Amino acid sequence: MGVETIILTIALIGGFYMAWSIGANDVANAMGTSVGSGALTIRRAVIIAAFLEFAGAFFVGTHVSETIRKGIISPEVFASNTMLLVYGMIGALLAAAIWLQVASYFGWPVSTTHSIVGSVLGFGVVVGGWQAAEWGKVASIVASWVVSPLLSGTIAFLLFSTLRRLIYYNHDPIRAAKRVTPPLVFLVFYILTLAMLFKGLKNLKLHLDFAEASLYGLGVGAIAAAISHFLLKRIHPVEVKPRVKITQPAPVRKNLPRIIGMVEKTMHSAVGEVKTELARVLEDLRAIRLDVEEGVEVEQGSSEYKSVQRIFVYLQILSAGFVAFAHGANDVANAVGPLAAVISILKNGIVGAKSPVPVWILALGGLGIVIGLATWGWRVMITIGKKITELTPTRGFSAEFATAATIVLASKLGLPISTTHTLVGGVLGVGIARGISALNLRVITNIVISWIITIPAGAAGAILFFYILKGIFGG
Amino acid sequence: MSVLMNLFRKSPFTPLQTHMERVVKCVHRMQDLYDAHFKGDFDAVNQLAEEISELEHLADIAKNEIRNNLPRGLFLPVNRGDLLEILSLQDSIADKAEDVAILMTLKPLPQIDALKEEMKAFMLKNIQAVEKAHEIIREMDELLESAFGGTEAEKVIRMVEEVAFMEHEADIMQHKILKQLFSMEEELSYSSFYLWINILQTMASLANLAEKLANRVRMLLEVR
Repeated sequence: MGVETIILTIALIGGFYMAWSIGANDVANAMGTSVGSGALTIRRAVIIAAFLEFAGAFFVGTHVSETIRKGIISPEVFASNTMLLVYGMIGALLAAAIWLQVASYFGWPVSTTHSIVGSVLGFGVVVGGWQAAEWGKVASIVASWVVSPLLSGTIAFLLFSTLRRLIYYNHDPIRAAKRVTPPLVFLVFYILTLAMLFKGLKNLKLHLDFAEASLYGLGVGAIAAAISHFLLKRIHPVEVKPRVKITQPAPVRKNLPRIIGMVEKTMHSAVGEVKTELARVLEDLRAIRLDVEEGVEVEQGSSEYKSVQRIFVYLQILSAGFVAFAHGANDVANAVGPLAAVISILKNGIVGAKSPVPVWILALGGLGIVIGLATWGWRVMITIGKKITELTPTRGFSAEFATAATIVLASKLGLPISTTHTLVGGVLGVGIARGISALNLRVITNIVISWIITIPAGAAGAILFFYILKGIFGG
Repeated sequence: MSVLMNLFRKSPFTPLQTHMERVVKCVHRMQDLYDAHFKGDFDAVNQLAEEISELEHLADIAKNEIRNNLPRGLFLPVNRGDLLEILSLQDSIADKAEDVAILMTLKPLPQIDALKEEMKAFMLKNIQAVEKAHEIIREMDELLESAFGGTEAEKVIRMVEEVAFMEHEADIMQHKILKQLFSMEEELSYSSFYLWINILQTMASLANLAEKLANRVRMLLEVR
């Protein structure tokens, strides 16, 4: 009994740590863009994310957790010695967590999902043999990693193209934006409600079939759309001067010539590489001085487009929340799936094919994510928000909505996919619709490389930890 | 560094606008140069020509910065080649303004009073065409916002047509001035005559380049 308690404790710590690291690193991607576009303050972003991550994990987290618990490797193979599965699952948790830590230290684009799937699969194949893996399911998971960014990109492309046609091709963009908002609000709430209710509340003993859930969804969506319709009336067009001449404050104008003088002197006495570097700096400084002396005219953008963005700020908040929900639903499984397997074996002796993942474990995973967000994730959110200002609300909404819809669909199908990669797909979709001024395509190569590296790395780590645990506790 | 942060790169369109801003400064300085010439102040002409050279150099710095920050892996809403072409046309405008200035410093040119007003009007027409092209480049933010389509694109197309019309007007003015200049064979020395012809042709290329630039931008647009 004592040994089991120790093992359980290790599993709980491992699972909780995994959940924490998901909250600390991944959630920021969902909300960071909204912070960047100024739609949300960091405080509000954290609060909204915390609620919706938890809700997603709690209500929809079961499906993917089931996949990781018993979909990748079949528990029957380990029926003769269930403790092997316990060590393996704990090993997978620890390996994935450590691999993530290493990868994020070096800044590699590694996904939590891929690490855990690689770890579980690797341990299963090495210990249980080739037939231990559910290859059909594994194939569909791997396929979903390719399909999910493509799907999200397609949705984002279509959505942004449609918005562009409806709003920017219209002679009154503000009115057009106000007109498309309620249907979009409806869509978000409909999908959200459907995701939560349809096969979602099994844990709470509430069974709703698709038609019933859809009906509730229609109701909730309609109410939300109606509310948004009235709220929109309170948004007034912003007045912007088309061009503003910026004059620098007195200290800037006074100091700049002095700085230039000093750099000039320094340059003359410098030698070698530094001299050419200083000459370059000097030229830049002179260019700046010219701008300061003559004043720079800054294009403010038309007030119409500014107003459109103001309206979409609210939609982006909505879509960011939607992403948080979807993220919670899909990624909580990475922590909870292995943990649930361990706990059900320790309790019942075998991974029950019938009994679902206990609600309290999902709640624990959700809580871990929220704590990760509160203790570390908000910092990452600020960093991302500061860096990503290119994603204006219309673009942000399109990319985020596409991402969330894709993830919710995958979650319902029990497929563990990467939120970040799906979001990258969404952003690229908007980019293909000519919505973003400069994207770095090398990221795609990096993502593919990370897929290829993560699976063996996770597998190797899991096997290592498996043998360590087996050595310590005996099998 | 998160994947998402890595995905976004600095927009090349803001530096493109900065570059054009500096190019237009070069072109504007031409007015002072011309006024100095008709005041007969050759020192001021030299001085202003130097200033224009300096401004052109600053524009070049902005240009090189854009070229350095445009790696192949970049995905832009416009064709990379088109963007570089636009940049290169902007650059040529500054070059031509500098050329005019240098031509005027070659020797103290005789003032042709009969053509003073016409030439000034001709120069202003060329400057106006460049200014209009500058306005089009300034619309770039709005174009990005509307993803190069819609009513904003239609607005830009109207502006492009305006530039084309200015170029046409400039052509007509140039034709008239050249005719008069050729009729002055006796009064002008060969070198002065040759220099004036050159100056007029270089000036005329400003409107031509402005029109080309405007048409290049038009090719980025998506119109129903």
